[in-house]
Amino acid sequence: MIIGAAEVRHVARLAELAVAEADVPTLATQLEAIVAFVAQLNDVEVPAGAGAIAVGPDRLTLREDRVDPIPMSRTPAEMAPAFRDGFFVVPKLGGLAEA
Amino acid sequence: MSDAALLARDTGRRLADAEARGLNATLHWSQELLDREAARLDAAPAGPLTGLAVALKDNIVTTDQPTTCASKILEGYVSPYDATVVTRLRSAGALIACKANLDEFAMGSSTENSAYGRVRHPIDPDRVPGGSSGGSAALVAAGVTAAALGSETGGSVRQPAAFCGVVGVKPSYGRVSRFGLVAFGSSLDCISVFGRTVADASRTLCAIGGHDPRDATTRAEAPSMRPMPRSDLRGLVVGLPREYFPTDLHPGVRAACDATIALLRELGAEVREVSLPHSAFAVPTYYIINPAEAAANLARFDGVRFGPRQIGPDGDVRALYQATRGAGFGAEVRRRILVGTFVLSAGYADQYYSRAQAVRRLIGNDFTQVFASGVDLLFTPTTPTPAFKAGEKTADPVQMYLADIFVAPASLAGLPAMSLPIGRDGGLPIGGQLIARDFDESTMLAAASVLESSLDALQEVR
Repeated sequence: MIIGAAEVRHVARLAELAVAEADVPTLATQLEAIVAFVAQLNDVEVPAGAGAIAVGPDRLTLREDRVDPIPMSRTPAEMAPAFRDGFFVVPKLGGLAEA
Repeated sequence: MSDAALLARDTGRRLADAEARGLNATLHWSQELLDREAARLDAAPAGPLTGLAVALKDNIVTTDQPTTCASKILEGYVSPYDATVVTRLRSAGALIACKANLDEFAMGSSTENSAYGRVRHPIDPDRVPGGSSGGSAALVAAGVTAAALGSETGGSVRQPAAFCGVVGVKPSYGRVSRFGLVAFGSSLDCISVFGRTVADASRTLCAIGGHDPRDATTRAEAPSMRPMPRSDLRGLVVGLPREYFPTDLHPGVRAACDATIALLRELGAEVREVSLPHSAFAVPTYYIINPAEAAANLARFDGVRFGPRQIGPDGDVRALYQATRGAGFGAEVRRRILVGTFVLSAGYADQYYSRAQAVRRLIGNDFTQVFASGVDLLFTPTTPTPAFKAGEKTADPVQMYLADIFVAPASLAGLPAMSLPIGRDGGLPIGGQLIARDFDESTMLAAASVLESSLDALQEVR
């Protein structure tokens, strides 16, 4: 047994994933089955020096290091609660104290 | 009415029919958008895809329709840019028909994992169309569109193509730009195509392929994918990897494969048995590498940048991430994120992830050796069985994963591969798989075309 309730909670925390307490036992059973299944790779004879595979081109062509305008599906004015003359309108700090 | 306007009307009618039949193959379409596509086509010069309506798997982004990846976490999300493949389809004269249903974030082999309901098999609604590109496959099989784009990470186009009785082609890794494909397993993801015929799939693939400065993994100089027309298979050596024909292979699948092998010989190909010993480990290898990459890629869906947001109980930002992701992701996505996080976590990364990377290399080496021995193409069944019943494998994730046993190896090796219909069993289509050398789509598509015309297996799907 590799994966129990504690491991599920630990991994869920690492993954920033809320998991309902009621789902933990089922997840533990399923994850245990998956991990037991993939663990068969430990029986494969891997010759020394068999490194990781590299897919894709030998060399990546990089783009020119240039900053372009970021495309947006909606304008900032549509996304902000208040927007005026190209600026986001936010409450004054003093205004917060009054509220 | 122009030809494009007629195509838009006809496509709309077919989409409405498919919806009325309850296929549940689409996530978004409208007659208004189809008419707009037609107006755009009327104003543009004709291209190689003129007259072709193409469905897009809903993990390929467009600015005029939402992109949800069949997930609640992206409900209502509209991309600010179009995927490169969408721009290329349009400039080749294609009409974008709709966004097709899929397994959530392309995780699944049956299209039962969509947050918007499962896709029905066009022949038998109690069965699955395969997955994860099940909506795209069902639309082509049902005659709604002549072609569709899907995406492959570990067989997500070839497997549903086999189940639905259509052609599905996965190009070499690095052949087609993924700019605008929502990332899942970055060392595996390939945008792939479905067609009613090999010719439709080929011309769609040729239109979307090629270098794209926006995807650094696309190869700048590559041989053409265009198949050179041929009348037979003389001069070709076809390998039959013995590991892909196990004794417990479904009898209907075996019979269709045997008939196809006889036909390969009849058409002049030299057929010989070969061995790819490490392919047996492809599924466990895939289910380490894929969840690991998925866990990393899906970290971006946190309720801050995309889609709806859930405020967590504690009101802080981590609670927001956890609550949004906990509520937004479905069961299979959660499982993969958890498995991926586990195999990458301290104390386990060497035992699982590094091991899987090494075995992946061995799987790739097997293919290299077989192709170096003079074999031009490999022929295998695409799937171990015809389409299975909905609900049959949902309780056991490992059984579901094994549906990809014959398609995962080529994905891990980055090789071009395709499925074409080779027969039927009890009315259900059966697919045969061809795998080619890296960047040799041309030979594969040409051979498939010869086989297709001889097999006469492309019957109207009813």
